[in-house]
Amino acid sequence: MATLPPSPFDRDRRNRRTMLTMAVVGLSMLGLGFASVPLYRIFCEQTGFGGTTKRAAADVQVREATGHTMSIRFDSNVQPGMPWQFYPEHRTDTVTIGRKDMAIFIAKNMSDKPVTGTAAFNVTPTQAGAYFTKIQCFCFTEQTLQPGQEVRMPVLYFVDPKILDDPDNKDTQQITLSYTFYPVEPGKKAS
Amino acid sequence: MKKVKSLVLAGLLALAPAMAMNGPAFAQDNAVAAAPAADNAAAPAESAANAVEAAPAAKVAAPPRMKPTEGIGMPRPGEITLQEQFTSTGHTARWMHDKLLLPLCFIMSIFVLILMLYAMWKFRAAANPVPSKTSHNTLIEVIWTVVPVIILLVIAVPSIGLLADQYKPAPKDAVVVKVTGYQWYWGYEYPDAGIPEFVSNMLPEDKAKANGEPYLLAPDNRLVLPAGRPIKLIITGADVIHAFAVPSLWVKMDAVPGRLNEKSFTIDKPGVYYGQCSELCGARHGFMPIAIEALPPAEFDQWVLSQGGKLPGAAPAATAAATAQAVAPAAPAAKL
Amino acid sequence: MTTITADHHGDHAHDHHDADHKPAFFQRWFMSTNHKDIGTLYLIFAIIAGIIGGGISGLMRAELAQPGIQYLQTWANMQHSLMGVEPATLDQAYHLWNALITAHGLIMVFFMVMPAMIGGFGNWFVPIMIGAPDMAFPRMNNVSFWLLIPAFTLLLGSAFVPGGTGYGAGTGWTVYAPLSTSGSAGPAVDMAILSLHIAGASSILGAINFITTILNMRAPGMTLHKMPLFVWSVLVTAFLLLLALPVLAAAITMLLTDRNFGTTFYDAAGGGDPELYQHLFWFFGHPEVYIMILPGFGIVSQIISTFSKKPVFGYLGMAYAMVAIGVVGFVVWAHHMFTTGMSVNVKMYFTAATMVIAVPTGIKIFSWIATIWGGSISFKTPMVWALGFIFLFTVGGVTGVVLANGGVDDVLHDTYYVVAHFHYVLSLGAVFGLFAGFYYWFPKMSGRMYNEFLGQLHFWVFFVGVNLLFFPMHFLGLSGMPRRYPDYPEAFAYWNKVASHGYEIMAAGMVIFFINLIWSLAAGKKAVGNPWGEGATTLEWTLSSPPPFHQFETLPVIDDAAHH
Repeated sequence: MATLPPSPFDRDRRNRRTMLTMAVVGLSMLGLGFASVPLYRIFCEQTGFGGTTKRAAADVQVREATGHTMSIRFDSNVQPGMPWQFYPEHRTDTVTIGRKDMAIFIAKNMSDKPVTGTAAFNVTPTQAGAYFTKIQCFCFTEQTLQPGQEVRMPVLYFVDPKILDDPDNKDTQQITLSYTFYPVEPGKKAS
Repeated sequence: MKKVKSLVLAGLLALAPAMAMNGPAFAQDNAVAAAPAADNAAAPAESAANAVEAAPAAKVAAPPRMKPTEGIGMPRPGEITLQEQFTSTGHTARWMHDKLLLPLCFIMSIFVLILMLYAMWKFRAAANPVPSKTSHNTLIEVIWTVVPVIILLVIAVPSIGLLADQYKPAPKDAVVVKVTGYQWYWGYEYPDAGIPEFVSNMLPEDKAKANGEPYLLAPDNRLVLPAGRPIKLIITGADVIHAFAVPSLWVKMDAVPGRLNEKSFTIDKPGVYYGQCSELCGARHGFMPIAIEALPPAEFDQWVLSQGGKLPGAAPAATAAATAQAVAPAAPAAKL
Repeated sequence: MTTITADHHGDHAHDHHDADHKPAFFQRWFMSTNHKDIGTLYLIFAIIAGIIGGGISGLMRAELAQPGIQYLQTWANMQHSLMGVEPATLDQAYHLWNALITAHGLIMVFFMVMPAMIGGFGNWFVPIMIGAPDMAFPRMNNVSFWLLIPAFTLLLGSAFVPGGTGYGAGTGWTVYAPLSTSGSAGPAVDMAILSLHIAGASSILGAINFITTILNMRAPGMTLHKMPLFVWSVLVTAFLLLLALPVLAAAITMLLTDRNFGTTFYDAAGGGDPELYQHLFWFFGHPEVYIMILPGFGIVSQIISTFSKKPVFGYLGMAYAMVAIGVVGFVVWAHHMFTTGMSVNVKMYFTAATMVIAVPTGIKIFSWIATIWGGSISFKTPMVWALGFIFLFTVGGVTGVVLANGGVDDVLHDTYYVVAHFHYVLSLGAVFGLFAGFYYWFPKMSGRMYNEFLGQLHFWVFFVGVNLLFFPMHFLGLSGMPRRYPDYPEAFAYWNKVASHGYEIMAAGMVIFFINLIWSLAAGKKAVGNPWGEGATTLEWTLSSPPPFHQFETLPVIDDAAHH
């Protein structure tokens, strides 16, 4: 009728093998959970997911799309409790798509202590993130301001002309670039 | 020292008496909200000066505080369906819910119920003592796989269209308001008009009732917007995640700290549209309501001027006036 | 059908030989390696957790019965006086509300439904149904259960330590950052996170045990395609647990380090992203809802077949529909995040992918109906619960299709519509599945029959109660009432009142259940090996009721020729 049941010894060995395989699967998923931190960042940078901007080298060559312009809005935030004023020199700007342009943000330390800050950023609409390319930005590094010091911080950027070919962005007339400054607390390391 | 977002524009103060005639003054309740600014004693002289400078522009009286229409822009007692909609996305979405999804829900549920009741009656043990042994029927299995697929495709087409509609970005001349979620109130700033951030706190029960507004939905300061003009809200959170939601405009967008979201829409007609925070944000999550007061365009312009703001096309004001991020002018606010 | 040769037949119950030799009390219940005893422990645990979690929802419904804050302040003061601290402020009372909703969610998910479904019925019946003498790793099985005790203790204990504004973890069961990191100072959230870690470890060990048992311990002839659907459902569930829970473990570990060790995985201040937490949470969270419902599918399949006296219609389709639900369940997570500001393409994808799940779910519902079609149906208590499950799950399922539409979800997200939806699939779906299974297997587990009248009465009272409780929540959600609110505008008063009355009726139903349980255990009629007759074809019905302490010392052999 049927084959003989496997001997207990065989079965134990097989069970152990299955258990180990499954343990490896579980541990891999645990690893994947942690690996998702860099993977998510890379994914966002590659695809502009969530309005993540692109970054390019200073000598990047772009074709200007003459006659096509994009309105750029600059938005600034400071984490509540951080003693900085931080605002764009101009709220909006109109740029030719593909032409490199510079925006200035002004930051002032209102406290009597030096304060170091770092900026988080994204653009909206999120589907425009993949085309908003920064060449130089104060957000790439930490900024330290002495008491009362005011600095003008430049952002050198361009809007990639490929945006004109993207059907998802056909109605995009204005891209908003937003920064939020956070104090760098000693001991908080960037993950 | 604590950085406190700017709360009250001095120009507003000039208006307080005028507005007091129209129910609670627009600025009045800001006094409470501005209280935290009190520890901001070191407010720089220049920002106070800016605020004073803006005051002359604020000679225009604000339009009277609009009375809400019962049942519009707010839930109705005992309501069983969606609120009446006042944006194009809202109309499409409501149509989709009422005319497509809801009927499908009913049809599917009733269909399953009828099949079950019929089978339960017809094949009860007393009536059918010998069960059939059928356990396969390829044709019927294919049917009940394919038919749902077709139904889902029928849903998917308008659904994708609705999404595209929802994501249509506003034109670049849209009215832009920056919305910031705080624990536990909202802040509104008009960057282009140069109206610095003011905050919106929930009205206590007695004040709301006295005002003829629904308690738990009515805040002191409303988000004033024009009806009929494209609007773009740029939304962020200051501390934890909040969600800016107004059901009658089909708007819900998370306010995430360190990140900006945008939401574009056009309000069909003037009115007061209430909403509530829709992402758990701590103890007073349920007590940071939203109210949008949509004014006819001309009155909206009047309101902007009354707040010391400038209208688009007006001579570009000194950028300093637009630096809404300036530290709150605490001293004048405290006088309120 | 399957022809079974087993050495223990139901009518051998009086044969007390070695197989029924039980260890002493402490050995038996505290150091148990017997899958049936561990299953019983799990069920007792789940019932206790269910009473606590259900009691909390009673508090919530009492507070929500009318607008205004009626009891929260009093309860918060009680909580505070219990700890010997000054009376609660209003904000602390509001925080208590958040702690209540958090506790209700976590308890019902991790300490009621999962232990009952997988730990309880899975442990009891998976080994028996595949003709195995026990689980593959009996000692590991015991560890799985006992890990739940410290996990539950930590969660309950968290209610009495600071958690931000007030006491207890008030973050919602989703524990979103940054509310759960910078927004909740104090050890309560740490305790809740550790509780999830331990409960998760318990479930992962259990999952590995079930997978090994099902893959390796089947009796000769019991091929995968002959396994009862309940075993299939537990197998799929175990894989979902194994793949999803470690991701949750990673996600909440990073929460813990963000809270305590200065990392910034979810903190924009240090280059992190709070939305990453949501992605990770829902990558776990969506499969989790299938983890809760799939064993219910399995239970219902067994019961529908038994009481229709017919094999399950479209067995393979049913089994692979569960596999499909499991697989697709991993690629739809962001439909929980439609309002976070994702781009249009992402939203379209998640809308479409989510709707796909309706197809295998539809296959299951229609196959159940086809199973009763042409059957010879007897409406015993387990059957009425299973039929109730099918209908209510359908109702919960169709509102799921509504919510799947990203554009429509913009107004329904985080409203009571969502609460109604997931309570229809879980509270009325999974819980109906649990009661169906409980009545179905009660005679087998206890050796006594439950009271049929009380069982039927329990069903009808409970059915009316939960529908009255949850159906009005659709209306509340459609008209805009947000979730997680302790108070609401007057306009929502009517349906909230109705819902609270529904809770009262449901609670009365639960009283009937407990009376039935106690009465049946004490004085129920002795159950025969197979009380359900010819329709009950799975292996557990070939054993005595209750089964001998050790079953299948000689493995049963399943006839090769058997087919479904």
